[in-house]
Amino acid sequence: MPSVTYTSPNIQIEGPILEVHFSISSELEKKYIEESKQIPVPIVVKSLIDTGASSCTIREDIPKKLGLEPIGKIKINTPSTKDHECFQYVMRMFMPLQGLTYEGVFTAVSLEGQDIEALIGRDLLQQGIFIYIGYMNQFTFSLM
Amino acid sequence: MVNKNTLSEELKIYEENKAKLIKEANGKFVLIKGKEIVNIFDTQMDAIKVGIDKFGNDPFLVKKIEEVDQKQNFTSNLIICPQ
Repeated sequence: MPSVTYTSPNIQIEGPILEVHFSISSELEKKYIEESKQIPVPIVVKSLIDTGASSCTIREDIPKKLGLEPIGKIKINTPSTKDHECFQYVMRMFMPLQGLTYEGVFTAVSLEGQDIEALIGRDLLQQGIFIYIGYMNQFTFSLM
Repeated sequence: MVNKNTLSEELKIYEENKAKLIKEANGKFVLIKGKEIVNIFDTQMDAIKVGIDKFGNDPFLVKKIEEVDQKQNFTSNLIICPQ
């Protein structure tokens, strides 16, 4: 089970942040190869593991930069809004050095402040293990 | 390029056929492209795979068939929704 452990003196302020790569899905990549289309270069983003998010989100401009079209539209609730409509995209998130890969649906939202470009939500955590050891300024994340 | 009308036609088709879909396949996932209900699948990823295979990187709708749409909830104030 691939896993990653980070220690950061600022973990209480910044939260559990991972630097991850985002690319088009493997299914679409296969299609692009068959059609001799150019495959977009993966985009590296800062992602926050957020147990308060029921699903994974991505900043709206990332799927646009990858040239992706949506596969769904849902309503979300946040502390300040109710039933806000957002598009969904299928994407591949990976950490090449650690061998962590997740392919799934990401909801496109506006993410402001703290330089965060994605939230890793409970739909992804459902497939892994997340351990936060506050007194050691450390967290571990594993994915099946 | 995506705009506010993207997937509107597919969502309209879903709403028009919702009662029938719930009766026949409650809890499953429907794939809709334009005015066509392509098929029904057990999992979301199965529907997406067929959608990509058939339509490539064109918008298509994969939606869970359910009486009341389950909303996604976020407690973080990082998400900004324009009013």
